[in-house]
Amino acid sequence: MPPSDADPGPQEGQGLAVAAETLYLVNLLLVPGVAFVILLVLYLRHRGSAPALARSHLQQTLAASLWAGLLLILVNGLILWLGGYDQAATWMVLLLYFVSCHAALVLLGVVGLARAMAGKPYRYPLIGPRLPAGN
Amino acid sequence: MQYQSQAVAKPYFIAAIVLFVGQILFGLILGLQYVVGDFLFPEIPFNVARMVHTNLLIVWLLFGFMGAAYYMIPEESETELHSPKLALLLFWVFLAAGVLTIVGYLAVPYATLAKITGNELLPTMGREFLEQPTITKIGIVIVALGFLYNVGMTVLKGRKTTVSVVLMIGLVGLAVFFLFSFYNPENLVKDKFYWWWVVHLWVEGVWELIMASILAFVLIKITGVDREVVDKWLYVIIALALITGIIGTGHHYYYIGTPTYWLWWGSIFSALEPIPFFMMTVFAFNMVNKRRRNHPNKAATLWALGTAVMAFLGAGVWGFLHTLAPVNFYTHGSQITAAHGHMAFYGAYVMIVLTMISYAMPLMRGRAAANSNKSQVVEMWSFWLMTVSMVFITLFLTGAGILQVWLQRYSENPQPFMVVQEKIALFYWMREVAGVIFLIGLLLYIASFFVGRNEPEAVAK
Repeated sequence: MPPSDADPGPQEGQGLAVAAETLYLVNLLLVPGVAFVILLVLYLRHRGSAPALARSHLQQTLAASLWAGLLLILVNGLILWLGGYDQAATWMVLLLYFVSCHAALVLLGVVGLARAMAGKPYRYPLIGPRLPAGN
Repeated sequence: MQYQSQAVAKPYFIAAIVLFVGQILFGLILGLQYVVGDFLFPEIPFNVARMVHTNLLIVWLLFGFMGAAYYMIPEESETELHSPKLALLLFWVFLAAGVLTIVGYLAVPYATLAKITGNELLPTMGREFLEQPTITKIGIVIVALGFLYNVGMTVLKGRKTTVSVVLMIGLVGLAVFFLFSFYNPENLVKDKFYWWWVVHLWVEGVWELIMASILAFVLIKITGVDREVVDKWLYVIIALALITGIIGTGHHYYYIGTPTYWLWWGSIFSALEPIPFFMMTVFAFNMVNKRRRNHPNKAATLWALGTAVMAFLGAGVWGFLHTLAPVNFYTHGSQITAAHGHMAFYGAYVMIVLTMISYAMPLMRGRAAANSNKSQVVEMWSFWLMTVSMVFITLFLTGAGILQVWLQRYSENPQPFMVVQEKIALFYWMREVAGVIFLIGLLLYIASFFVGRNEPEAVAK
């Protein structure tokens, strides 16, 4: 649909959608764990009752946060375990992987936040569940 | 193009692109000298190639900023430029000074250049990035004053907008902080302390204002989002850039003889420096998502989003990587710094100038809004080639840097510098390959100005 000149105003559930995306980013950047728990509580409280836009962003951010945990904690743990703590190559691979993966996850969150602020749904590429048809 | 005088930006942009090619060619020479030490020696020694590479970068970015200002200010002020003739005169003065300086670097030994340009009368030469002869520095000040007078008078007689005021603050700051390049104390600590007032307060201070204002201008034009919305974002971004960036200068004051409180001030404030870049990324994506019209210049939109993302990665993430004092104790001046420098300069400043050129050039060449689809496809290919190869350059240099720090500084038996350099040579080779791809991208970028010239203009879908 082409963009229109009229400002449609906030969409239903937009506040919750923005909150979900913000919590996803806060979990990655500022207070990991704490922000995830708040996001989980929001998801559990609103998954059945929230408007479609908010529900979609809550689902996406929760799934992306779980993947982030897997990619950042488990994979790094695996690199360290397999490579050995005292090896230069281990730390090179680990740091390169962590910085690139973490930055990519943050950038996806930025796009998600911008979409939520515009009242639009967003699917995290590869790690987010499929959006319902029509989105 | 709304005002005839905006056309003075065109020679500035052309000169910027030509010098950009020179910068990349010297980058490739340098990259090869890392692994083939005597390549082009003694004709172009490593120190000279490095000086030309970095100085060309600074000069072409300044051409780009001035071109951007000459294009933006009349449109923002809703009036013709105060003096297009002065703008063209200063263009030739700046170009002559820049070219003569580069020729001087290449033609005679640096010490001889210092002697024949009278450096002993007011010694300012011999410092990284500020290697220009004193007479060139004086020329830069004269050009900057004339430029600021020209755009300043235009702003004063016309409409004042947030975009133009932020741009002017950035440009005035650029000129003011350059004056510290004339202060060259005997005390090495003091010398470094004030040297950063030019280097850091440019790239992590006032240049961010220039970048933010250019980005805001282009986004207003291509998205049609209300200026009031853009203004609010701009206020927050520049406030954060200055709050974090000014005291963040402290991350250059670790272990150089300055008081130890800089370890704390530098760490805390520079850890916050990614925030304005993060905000710029949210801002750019937010504006594009809220756009009120589909602009036919897809390439300019791509550059605008790309500059926000790459600036966040290069300046924000890769800057944070080694900015805390305990980390910097080990990483200082390693290839990690080079990785950060490459991506940050490309993301924040190269790409913002190319964003502006991408938006303005079609209009200055007689198009109503955008180039043909064919031309834009080539331009977008150049975007991806240059951007992806810069990501790889950064990753290879980061890998090299981590190994360098480990082998040379962190392990129980630290190895000598040159021994370690040989051990990380593979990364330098891979960086060189990525550099060649970057050059191909740049050549495609230039080709995009000539491809599809006779085809109809792209239309918004």
